[in-house]
Amino acid sequence: MDAVFDFLAPVGLNETNFQFMLIAAILGCSIYVTLYGGMFSLANAGFMAIGTYVSVVLTQRYDWPFVPAIIAGMVAGGLIAIIVGLPVLRLSDIYLAIATIGFGEVVVVLIRNFDRIYEEIFDKKIEITGGGKGIKNIPVTTDTLHLIIFLLIVVYFLYRMQHSRFGRALAAIRQDETVAANLGINVVYYKNVAFIIGAMIAAGAGGLSGHLNRVIEPDDYDFDRAVDILTYAVLGGTTFFIGPVVGGMVLRYLPELLRRLKVLSFVGSIVGRDLTNEQAAVDGIINGIVLILFIVYLPGGLADPQLWKSLYRRLRPNNTQKGAP
Amino acid sequence: MQKLRSLLILFVVIAVSLPLTISAQDEAPQIGFWEECETPTLTGDINLGVVFSLTGGAAIYGNPQLQAVQMAVEEINDSDYLGEANLVAIVEDGGTDVETSISAMTKLVEEDQVPVVIGPTLSNQALSADPIAQDAGVLVLGVSNTRSNLETDIGDFYLRNSLPEAKVIPGTVAQATEILGLENVAVMYSDNDEFTVSGYEVFVEALEANGVNIVATETFATGDTDFNAQLTNIIALNPDAIVVSALAAEIVPLLQQTRNLGYTGPIIGGNGFNTPGIASPDTGAGESANGVIVGGAWNIAKQNELSLAFSEKYEAEYGAAPDQFSVQAYTGAWMIATGIRCADSTESAAVRDALKGLKDFNSPLGSFSFDDDGLPEHEPVAQIIVDGQYRVLTSEEAAAVFGE
Amino acid sequence: MNLRTLFYVLSAIFLGFLIPYLIATYLFNKEVLSPEQQLANAMWRGSIYSLFALGYALIFSILGLLNLAHSSVFMWGGYIGLMSVLKLDMPIWVAMPVGMIGGGLVAVSVDVIAFMPLRRRNAPRISQLISSIGASVILLSLATLIFSSTPKRFPQDSIDALPGTADKPLTWLLDNANVRITPIQIAIFVIPIVLMFLLEYMVNSLKIGKAMRVVAFNQRIARLLSINVGNIFAFTFFLSGVLAGAAGVLQGLAFNSMTPYMGATVALKGLTVIVLGGLGNIRGAVVGGFLVANIEIMSIALGYGWLSDAVVFSSLFLILLVRPQGLLGESGKMRA
Repeated sequence: MDAVFDFLAPVGLNETNFQFMLIAAILGCSIYVTLYGGMFSLANAGFMAIGTYVSVVLTQRYDWPFVPAIIAGMVAGGLIAIIVGLPVLRLSDIYLAIATIGFGEVVVVLIRNFDRIYEEIFDKKIEITGGGKGIKNIPVTTDTLHLIIFLLIVVYFLYRMQHSRFGRALAAIRQDETVAANLGINVVYYKNVAFIIGAMIAAGAGGLSGHLNRVIEPDDYDFDRAVDILTYAVLGGTTFFIGPVVGGMVLRYLPELLRRLKVLSFVGSIVGRDLTNEQAAVDGIINGIVLILFIVYLPGGLADPQLWKSLYRRLRPNNTQKGAP
Repeated sequence: MQKLRSLLILFVVIAVSLPLTISAQDEAPQIGFWEECETPTLTGDINLGVVFSLTGGAAIYGNPQLQAVQMAVEEINDSDYLGEANLVAIVEDGGTDVETSISAMTKLVEEDQVPVVIGPTLSNQALSADPIAQDAGVLVLGVSNTRSNLETDIGDFYLRNSLPEAKVIPGTVAQATEILGLENVAVMYSDNDEFTVSGYEVFVEALEANGVNIVATETFATGDTDFNAQLTNIIALNPDAIVVSALAAEIVPLLQQTRNLGYTGPIIGGNGFNTPGIASPDTGAGESANGVIVGGAWNIAKQNELSLAFSEKYEAEYGAAPDQFSVQAYTGAWMIATGIRCADSTESAAVRDALKGLKDFNSPLGSFSFDDDGLPEHEPVAQIIVDGQYRVLTSEEAAAVFGE
Repeated sequence: MNLRTLFYVLSAIFLGFLIPYLIATYLFNKEVLSPEQQLANAMWRGSIYSLFALGYALIFSILGLLNLAHSSVFMWGGYIGLMSVLKLDMPIWVAMPVGMIGGGLVAVSVDVIAFMPLRRRNAPRISQLISSIGASVILLSLATLIFSSTPKRFPQDSIDALPGTADKPLTWLLDNANVRITPIQIAIFVIPIVLMFLLEYMVNSLKIGKAMRVVAFNQRIARLLSINVGNIFAFTFFLSGVLAGAAGVLQGLAFNSMTPYMGATVALKGLTVIVLGGLGNIRGAVVGGFLVANIEIMSIALGYGWLSDAVVFSSLFLILLVRPQGLLGESGKMRA
């Protein structure tokens, strides 16, 4: 393993970045489940925050062991998803997106003020979430293997989902909710289950990342994070189970690659201005352009089987002609 | 007529050149241990890792930090402070989140194998990224981390030149209480930022220690610009002073709104207030800043010539007045160079030991030393803004602003 | 029509300010310190929220798009105005229209880059939303590249030079009501209202406004009526950019601190505003702006400022569950 990372380090694939890429892939999967059912939910950053805080609070303040704490975080995410999902999933399209943005912001504010709310109600000072300062000195417990195993379980689930009754029901709902309901599919049930599963995956990713960064703070799970998670799935593709994994990994890797490519000295030489100080801003511009280009020209995502099939066909036109009688 | 003109020219020439020659004779103070340490025998390029928040909300602080470091590196190389060797800054964006700072630090430590890193901007980033350097035995110099206990949390390869709030605020509060006779104060702070929250906590402790009563506590969020509602609440209680823990971007609108709402009393600020730009009529709050009291990590009031020279040069180069963060970053880069010079080595441990032994380092921050625990030490002085100038807080100066 | 708007604004103030005020004082015995000043604070904040949300709502109502780059257009408009003052020494009443037009042009370029290619392909609204996020990221990065991220502000004398305020003191103290209002605050209150009435007049009475409403109703019918739909799209974006630019300049003038990140805070608040008012309801955006501002100010006035964001975003969440068409919307008629 180490040898592989040593070899790939110059292009930015060291173990640390690989871990972040794995987390991004898991997060991409979490939103994939809902997108697969045609639900445009941006709540996953909120669920990630819940998973992170529940599991980190359990390990740090109550000395729980690592794995049960992560599972507890996932359960907490799932429970809240049950409560939130039932009313919110009646909305569709942009309305659902906005409502879940609101949900995410509320989660962040409540986590930030948890100690204070508790104090206000019970008149007793506590330190659970640590407010705006977050929780510090969390020992690094998550290692690459944990992340790989978790991702593999999630991907296996997505793979099975694609060919199961559950997955087909979701796909039908995505195509047309009314038709699906007329076909006897319990739309409310399937949508909620997908929402809960997505929330649990996000919460699990949160718990794992919380034990990786040494510090957590509420602001890490705001709207920007929700947008990141969404772009992972959209870039990879929302109809094929490998999509979110590819999307998450590529998008999380892209800034690290840009960091090393130093596109700047090149662009600067064209523009005739020293841009080396502006690396970060230029990276932002490139990130934005990549996002738009993908949405515009590769709407099926990077991992769209159709795309690769047509590409494959186009690259080997001679062979197919020869093969034809 | 001709004669008169030439006489006039002569006069002007003399008038202009006189102060020039005088100042040339006067030994201008210079940053660095030119005398104390020999010119090192090092050659070639010495990599200096730089991690600052260049994107996201904290970019407001990270970008000036980067500019200041680059200015310092240029000066160090131009003046041959490191002999034949050249300092080369490898700049990485630490973002505003912890993940990006971890990635940046990993790259600097593992790939570039730099001996010293300056940064990252935020204390939480230091807590998450610096252990990577600590594990690899790479020295990190924090220049804007003010959270307490970072030294014990991270380890012995972490040093900082930014005073923890706990070292600045209690002194300021004690002095202000004594001079202004504070009894009831109101506190305002931004509650979603660890820098300002820890500042707030230290303020509360110090106020309690001095027997000052807190009549109201109001919060806002980093990035807010409208504080009228909170201020209205506070001003209605007519406190003796308003205590504010905020970052530079919020301070200017906050000051202006406080004065617009008719409050004329003292405003006591934490570390974030330590920015000459606050009182500037063009870019800052102008007259509204009069009566602001700060415990300075940066002794602008002390007529520190290095500080003046830095401000001038920085403003000429980047078109904006430097803030506290850039002064600290600038000083930090010079300190690292001094550590390398005095150790005559690029070994992290040697540089660290040389840095820790730094005593009375004359810098734009004032005279700087590390104490025996490796904590930064330079006399913080409570300052008051009078007519747009930072002055040392005395009862006379206070009377000049608030009357008696 | 316009009287109705006024009525709605008043009811927003009633809902958001008076009712909580009365409940707090008479049911819970909680004192609100200087309520007159707080009301003034709420009016002022509300007019900036409304102006910002107006452009947001305009795009949603005419084009059915949620343009998440709107906050970046707002920031760009503000900066263009600022730069005209700082670099070109324009007086503020010239810089303001310059900032507005600049905002309009930026908005049109957002349309060209992020929306137009997708529109051609008839992509789902979700893709358009994501691509607007991409445009927003680009605009933000460009701004840090060009304007740098250090906080900037309009020079002090540019505010005094507002017409009619030159020789007045910065702070007006109204003696009989215990309220302090600065000239710039009055300007900030008046300009948005003027712009709102102009917008309503245009959409309802001018030919182009009628064309916009046809496009909003059905694009195919608009084409049948030989309306150039592409032009209407561009024009709508331009208008929304003009409004955002005005809001950006006013925000900069009012609060004296501009950074490229100034759009981030107002972006989500603006979302709440248009949802409360009814997505795509132009009049609703105005009402929603005042309502959200009142809710925020009231929660601060009652001593729960630390929960004001929680209150605002909970109301965003709840209103969608209870009344997705918003407070002013009529069910079944969600647009225009």
